[in-house]
Amino acid sequence: MKYKFLISAVLLGGLWSCQPEINEFEPSKGNADFTTYMTAGNSLTAGYADNALYKSAQENSFSKMLAEQMEFVGRQGSFKIPYINTEDGVGTGGGMLFTKLKMGFSTDCLGVTSLGPVRANPNATQQELAVLLGTPVADQGPFHNIGVPGAKVTHLLAPGYGSMNPYYGRFASAAGNAVIDEIALVKPTFFTLWIGNNDVLSYALAGGAADQITPLEGAPGVGFAASLEVVLMSFKATATAGAIANIPNITDIPYFTTVPFNIIALSDQAMVDQLNAGYAEYNGAMQQLGLDYRINFALGANPMVIHDPSILVPPGYEKLQIRQIKADELVLLSLPLDSIKCAYWGSLKPVPGAYVLDEKEITDIDNAVVGYNQAIKAAAEKYELAHVDMNAVLKQGSSGGIVMDGVSFSNTFVTGNAFSTDGVHLTPQGNALAANTFIDAINKKYNASIPKVNVAQYNAVVLP
Amino acid sequence: MRKLFLFAMLLAMSHLSTQAGGYQVRLQSSRSTGMGLTGTGLQLGASSMFFNPGALSMMETKTDFSIGASGIISKISFQKTGQNLVSETNNKLSTPFYVYGAGKIGEKWAVGLAIYTPYGSSAEWESGWEGRLLIQNIALQAIFFQPTVSYQLTDKLGIGAGLVYTSGSVKLEKGLNYGPDSYVELDGSASSLGFNLGAFYTASEKLSIGVNYRSKIMMDVSGGDAKFHVPVSVGTTIPTENKFSASLPLPGNLDFGVSYQATEKLLLAAEVNWVMWGVYETLEFTFEEKGELLNSKSPREYKDTFIPRIGAEYTLNDMFTFRAGAYYDQSPTNEDYFTPETVSLDNLAFTLGVGFHPTERLSIDLSYLQISGLEAKKNYQPDNFGGTYKNAAFIPSFGLSYRF
Repeated sequence: MKYKFLISAVLLGGLWSCQPEINEFEPSKGNADFTTYMTAGNSLTAGYADNALYKSAQENSFSKMLAEQMEFVGRQGSFKIPYINTEDGVGTGGGMLFTKLKMGFSTDCLGVTSLGPVRANPNATQQELAVLLGTPVADQGPFHNIGVPGAKVTHLLAPGYGSMNPYYGRFASAAGNAVIDEIALVKPTFFTLWIGNNDVLSYALAGGAADQITPLEGAPGVGFAASLEVVLMSFKATATAGAIANIPNITDIPYFTTVPFNIIALSDQAMVDQLNAGYAEYNGAMQQLGLDYRINFALGANPMVIHDPSILVPPGYEKLQIRQIKADELVLLSLPLDSIKCAYWGSLKPVPGAYVLDEKEITDIDNAVVGYNQAIKAAAEKYELAHVDMNAVLKQGSSGGIVMDGVSFSNTFVTGNAFSTDGVHLTPQGNALAANTFIDAINKKYNASIPKVNVAQYNAVVLP
Repeated sequence: MRKLFLFAMLLAMSHLSTQAGGYQVRLQSSRSTGMGLTGTGLQLGASSMFFNPGALSMMETKTDFSIGASGIISKISFQKTGQNLVSETNNKLSTPFYVYGAGKIGEKWAVGLAIYTPYGSSAEWESGWEGRLLIQNIALQAIFFQPTVSYQLTDKLGIGAGLVYTSGSVKLEKGLNYGPDSYVELDGSASSLGFNLGAFYTASEKLSIGVNYRSKIMMDVSGGDAKFHVPVSVGTTIPTENKFSASLPLPGNLDFGVSYQATEKLLLAAEVNWVMWGVYETLEFTFEEKGELLNSKSPREYKDTFIPRIGAEYTLNDMFTFRAGAYYDQSPTNEDYFTPETVSLDNLAFTLGVGFHPTERLSIDLSYLQISGLEAKKNYQPDNFGGTYKNAAFIPSFGLSYRF
């Protein structure tokens, strides 16, 4: 080396090109074969974000990032994704189609303009959105990313699921196929699976008022654990290695943690007195019935009044099935704030139960997640797969926060960088965090060295 | 916003680079540069105003003018932990210079003025690199003006002092997490005072000993310009035009040096520089508007370093002298707070030089300094940004002295 210095010293002209070399990291496939990578799952795997499926979000899915990083460790060929031909996106909910959410300014019922999620194109018609979503792309397959927005683990096994879910229908290779039938067309050597969120999330998103939690036990197509095994066996037909991710605590995502329970702000004593006078009759009736429920308002922040049909009252007294929400119960991001501000929801009128998760619903959801994650862990061990602990990542993100390359992640809505404007799905940066979590687990399990992605190169929530 | 602090750290780093670590060194005499940047125990004529004002009163001629400049070509490579790609800096050439003029007044006194640029670093990382939220680029410049007086106490002992006036500026840019086009530019300047004290003792005809203390200088940037390039909707929260203040310590130095005339032709020098980096504990930024949102305080926790140096000069004949030297420069940075603005690694450096003396009065000095940073894994914990760094610098220098 010293001679090199001396030579350089003489040859000043050559010095500019003398960049110091570093070779600390050598990509390696370890004990896994990444030649053909395939991924299955739900909206997270598909790249759904901002309440819709759109092309650049598909491009920023963690699974595409993984596919790109796996090129350094032997992945071959193209990684086919069933792209939808729109940037405004198509989302579904409540039987309606809509474009994606983006950050924008809107004016509320009080005339106050503020920044928040707004539809990318509020004028898009149901018909044109239906065409975008319904345009088949199966002829471009078979696809390596078969993530289906809205899919539960049980759905992956359902023949003809494409007729029930247009997000699968648009790329299903045959009308009668189940999602897992797509696997044999690709013959993956390595796979990732992140499924199960919707098995509990669909129930939670409906405020516990619709859908139901998939039971842990039960036959394939009914129970979570048995269905999961069927999916894994489909992959294991050709794949020698893979990774399976567990489910984050649903109730820690911004969709359930953003709107405070005590959102009813009162600054006028006359209003307080009026409300309390109005609820005097309710309080009296509850006392007569021997029930502990009381509704009281005071100056400052007050818990919302919600509808709760689980309150047992004599027939004819159903209007008493209301109460103030408890501090540990959760309000959904879908709660229309204009109704709080101008239609007196939560004060004069009870908030419908579909906007709230009560204590029992939260317990049911949390228990389901615990059960699913035990099944996922057991399956990872049984099939010798890398176990990706996404639950731990969200837990860390929602307690102390996670910092990576100068990006601070938390479960805070919009500013927490991880979650997109729908409060459920990930931003590109959140996807990068997920991709790196997968990579860590895969590298550890298979003694591989897949290079990680650069978190700071991706966007968080884009602001106008 | 925490990353803004880095700015300050950059500044600090720059000095640091100058005095210790990094790709920048004390290039205040081309002759010294050839000899491993020794100088405290050497009689360097007018250049001694920087290295040891005590030696000035004992300079061999009545008058001495010296000028010189260097070109710093520095490169940094970085590989993030767990990644295969390497990012590099594309630093602009920086050109520190010096101008000295000194003369004796009677037998015992000497006075002079030294103008030099001990801080002048720059780092420009590739656009969109993985550390863009910590730093994109930085440039620091500082110029020192030092009127100096020196007095010969005895035949063997000279003492000297200089008052230092420093004028510096810093410019930096770092990404903000509002998309690829979001970043902040900080541009500030500061001036401050310090001093330089030295004593030079010729123990025998062959042996000289020097000690030099250069004070800590606090560079207080106030009213610096901060420009936030952010989306319009963010601009309502973070003012796009703002003013900032920050304080950066330039650490004190205590240098001990000896020189020994081994033979008629061979002069040897050795010294140790104690750089008191320990003063750099935290970096604070204060903004005029929205301070509650933007102000920051971040730990740096530097530690003092000791730099051993050796140098030699061989006089071939009246016309030519040849020089060589080396030093080992430890990074003062803290393991947990190492940022890519301050890529200060443990450095091993080699120097070469040649002096040409066409007349008794004129010397032309050329030197070459090569720094190779030892590869090291470093982490900036507050941003969880770590990886392997390696640096290299190539510094040709030129100097001209005229004495009579």
